[in-house]
Amino acid sequence: MTELARDAEWQRLDPRMLLVHPIREVLRFLPVIVVVVLGSTAAGGEQWQLIGVGIPVALGLMRYLTTSFRISGGRIELRRGLLNRHVLSTPVDRVRTVDLTSSPIHRLLGLTKVQIGTGTASSSDEDRVDLDGLPLDRARALRAELLETSTADDELASAEATDTEVLAFDPAWLRYAPLTGSGVVIGAAALGAASQLLQSVGFWERFDLDNLDVPGVSLGVLVPLLVLAGLVVVSLLSVGGYAVSNWGFRLTRNRAAATWHLTRGLFTTRETTVDDERVAGVNLSEPLGLRLAGGARLSAIVTGLSSSQRGSATLVPPAPRAVVERVAVEVLDTSVPVAAPLVGHGPRAARRRWTRALLPVLGVAAAFVLVVVSGGPTWLLLGLLALPLAAFLARDRTRSLGHALLAGHLVARSGSLVRRRRILDVDHVIGWNLRATWLQRRAGLTTLVATTAGGNQAVVVLDVPEDEAVRVAHRALPQLVEQFRS
Amino acid sequence: MWRTEAVVQAVLLSVVPFVLIGPLDLMDVPWWAWVLWAAFLAAYVVVVPSWRYLVHRWEVTDTAVYTQTGWWARERRIAPMSRIQTVDHVEGALARLFGLATVTVTTASAAGALGIAGLDKDVARRLVDELTMKADAVEGDAT
Repeated sequence: MTELARDAEWQRLDPRMLLVHPIREVLRFLPVIVVVVLGSTAAGGEQWQLIGVGIPVALGLMRYLTTSFRISGGRIELRRGLLNRHVLSTPVDRVRTVDLTSSPIHRLLGLTKVQIGTGTASSSDEDRVDLDGLPLDRARALRAELLETSTADDELASAEATDTEVLAFDPAWLRYAPLTGSGVVIGAAALGAASQLLQSVGFWERFDLDNLDVPGVSLGVLVPLLVLAGLVVVSLLSVGGYAVSNWGFRLTRNRAAATWHLTRGLFTTRETTVDDERVAGVNLSEPLGLRLAGGARLSAIVTGLSSSQRGSATLVPPAPRAVVERVAVEVLDTSVPVAAPLVGHGPRAARRRWTRALLPVLGVAAAFVLVVVSGGPTWLLLGLLALPLAAFLARDRTRSLGHALLAGHLVARSGSLVRRRRILDVDHVIGWNLRATWLQRRAGLTTLVATTAGGNQAVVVLDVPEDEAVRVAHRALPQLVEQFRS
Repeated sequence: MWRTEAVVQAVLLSVVPFVLIGPLDLMDVPWWAWVLWAAFLAAYVVVVPSWRYLVHRWEVTDTAVYTQTGWWARERRIAPMSRIQTVDHVEGALARLFGLATVTVTTASAAGALGIAGLDKDVARRLVDELTMKADAVEGDAT
């Protein structure tokens, strides 16, 4: 009996969720429970403690009893809620992705949470099709059959084929973790939390520079030392974060079923399966730090997945550039758009980069000079250092600007702090927006935007010369633009 | 319609400084700042609506919709008929006063909605019907 046939009748989720829900509710209500327990111990009321634990358990039980689902007549239906009865129904052939997420509790019990992505624009949790708590093997079977149904017109889909591994995690990639923006943010957040903790125990009040009687170490040594220590801690934390979310990263491709399959996570494992037809393109991004170290990361532009669900679209975590490019080529089935040189945007676009980077900084620098001249402290002149930085940015931004139309793919590259190379299959271009401010029109430039249904919803080609923009749009979708050329 | 909207915006914009500066002493702001602000608003009311009107164009063919909007930043949008998902017909409070309507065409991309503003109500109605028919005639699920 296949999984779909079994699910034609209304099904409850796995009974083992009865263990998961109460534990999770208890964890969520933990602060309240602690307060209740402490309060009741002080007041001497034992029954309050029981209620504090009882309510979460009852909530979990209720959720189990009121949630059920079925898949029949080509539709997935999910029923839940006791007071607000909520029935959600979605056609099976609209399924874009199937995610299996297992938290440590789930894994302990052999369960997983199935998230069915249907490409809805709604961001409300209520409208998502989540089956929280199915046994792992049932979930896997369900996933295979759902995706097979949604690509039913594919003749090959019936043939069972083995997965080919495209990418496997290499612990050496951990070295890229501190170089990414998110790694630093994680680290900084942890440091901030630590500092708050110290504050709450009154560390900073007692902290006094004069009291630092570390023998034989002057302040000039101590401060760099502390900064260094901070850097090390931040790096370690970001490496930890990277490892937790990406450990065991594995990308496989099933050619017969035309799907991409991705597994990752140290504690909470995540499995994502994306239908090959839905992959509209890839986004190869290189934050400055990563770029200097020769690394990059890759995500897919998946039709029906918005950028808020980016987690499901990652194809390669920060990794060496060569690896990233290899995967990009594999995903696109052609190496041309990844490796080929791009067409620059010409001197006018370059001039625009320079003025945009330098003008504000020049203004600020002039203000600094004025302040110093009129008797301000001299160290403000350090602000002038911003000028070479801006010049560097402008130069780099000019250099990375580029676009091309290669092998049926639109390629656009821009940015300096985060340089992105977006590659979009022309078949997935929904429409064109040509946007130009008065200043851009004067320079004869325009911003060409190819809209699409996935990722950031658009691929932006910044500041292309006007005629070139129309030419690119025309070459990509000939019959479309022709009628409006005038 | 745009002129009325601009007047409303200008009224709002002239109220904002009063609200912001209200708690302070009104004499703190030099008189010429008020004059400048008033001149700016007047220019905004006079120039921008006609500018918008001159820029705004639209065209519908058998296979695509094309619009041009904006004043400072001018944007041209093209959406093929096969990718149209919904056609909206909206009459705002101000627009109804003038018997006008706005037709919005959305595609599967959040960045690709085309708005045709300030259409005569009957023209808008007919356009909606026409677009719906044409979009319906094309195969595919528009993604």
